[in-house]
Amino acid sequence: MSGPLHTPLCDKLGIEYPIVAFTHCKDVAVAVINSGGFAVLGEALHTPDHIAADIKWIRERIGGKPFGIDLVLPSSVPEEKSVEELMAMIPPEQRAFEQKIKEKYNVPDPKVRPDIHVWGGLDQKRALNQLEVIFDERVPVFASGLGSPAFLLKRAHELGMQVWGLVGKPRQAKKQLAAGTDVIIAQGFDAAGHTGNIGTFSIVPQVVDAARGTGVPIIAAGGVTTGRHLAAALALGADGVWTGSLWLASRESDVNLPLKERLIEAETDDTVYSDCISGYTMRTTRSPWHNEWASEEAPEVLKPPLQMILSSNYIQGSLDYQRKDLMTEAAGQGIHYVTEMKPARQILSDIVEEALDVFDRFANA
Amino acid sequence: MPDDKAEEPPFRSGFEPRLRGARAECDGGAPVVGTHLAGRQDFAGRLTGNYRDFGPYPWRWYLMTELTKKPNGYSLDAVWCDSGNLTILDEDKLSIPLVP
Repeated sequence: MSGPLHTPLCDKLGIEYPIVAFTHCKDVAVAVINSGGFAVLGEALHTPDHIAADIKWIRERIGGKPFGIDLVLPSSVPEEKSVEELMAMIPPEQRAFEQKIKEKYNVPDPKVRPDIHVWGGLDQKRALNQLEVIFDERVPVFASGLGSPAFLLKRAHELGMQVWGLVGKPRQAKKQLAAGTDVIIAQGFDAAGHTGNIGTFSIVPQVVDAARGTGVPIIAAGGVTTGRHLAAALALGADGVWTGSLWLASRESDVNLPLKERLIEAETDDTVYSDCISGYTMRTTRSPWHNEWASEEAPEVLKPPLQMILSSNYIQGSLDYQRKDLMTEAAGQGIHYVTEMKPARQILSDIVEEALDVFDRFANA
Repeated sequence: MPDDKAEEPPFRSGFEPRLRGARAECDGGAPVVGTHLAGRQDFAGRLTGNYRDFGPYPWRWYLMTELTKKPNGYSLDAVWCDSGNLTILDEDKLSIPLVP
């Protein structure tokens, strides 16, 4: 197959379209893979047994096609404490502010205990246990969503696996290229969740330049939700696009319905780069929690993981009682173009058609 | 008979004297516990030379202290940094390998 959308990434993976879906939903992953794209399933929060079960489930439905698993490897770690010790460290001022928000917006108590309250730690040991499953299963692609995967390249390559690394700075890309990472995802500030502070249009060509002559494909990430974004990423020199927010409101997505509605309604301005959820800066959809912590009377945001402990009851309560007015989710600036609940197959074909239209327009100019 | 054997730490400790005092930057971050999210955190400071190796690869982490750059609210003056995300700033130390 040839054409403007056929890139080295397609050859490297044996896929039809250079579109990668990053999702936490197995059904979305399977739908995208079976429609000619590629999918990476986010498993950062799961136990090794859960990850193994998900891999088996996917393999049974994609007929030997490749897929990827993403883990969030830590790259800096402070001291360790128990959840009880951490909860006791939350100062009265921040506790009182949380209570004020709860009363002002009638935030319900959660039905279930937030995950963080039964947290067993997310340190190097847990990451190593997750990695063992990835190796045992010889997952075709392992993607590292945060930390450098340099340390595991040798073993992964011996097992015939590809290793992808997501970067937010050109120097991270250079280090990963030097280490032998197979594919680099250059993620811009427009992206959902954790991002660097460099915009997609600036970081992608810099990483493409750094990789020139290496044969390593570069994937553009951050704000990609249309075929025009795909065409623009290819024009910047990328070999494909990494998409996340695009699939949150898809028909197959397991995101609950009120939150899907919230995402469909959201505009670019409704995504906020803030540390009020977790203590880390990240892009999420605006909620009353964000607005209150941005107000003048708000106390100082706490360091991780204290701020997450503080926000966890609000978030869990909003989900348990389907309070769309309170909900928040990680979403990128491209959310403006997520306007209806479509099947993943249609989302993919719409992007492909629009990108091809762009190239046709230039070809006929 | 009670098992009084203490649980072994999941790492092997070591010291690389040539890196002691080296100025470095860490493009850090970690998963946000209890969620599927992650956050980035940038640090700068000096390496002590102490390291920890996790797993068989090994996955090497260095201790950075005397922090001159750290996120708002980060009250500690030390952080463990993955060697793959460390950048050494001192020219005379640049050729020292961060992993075996």
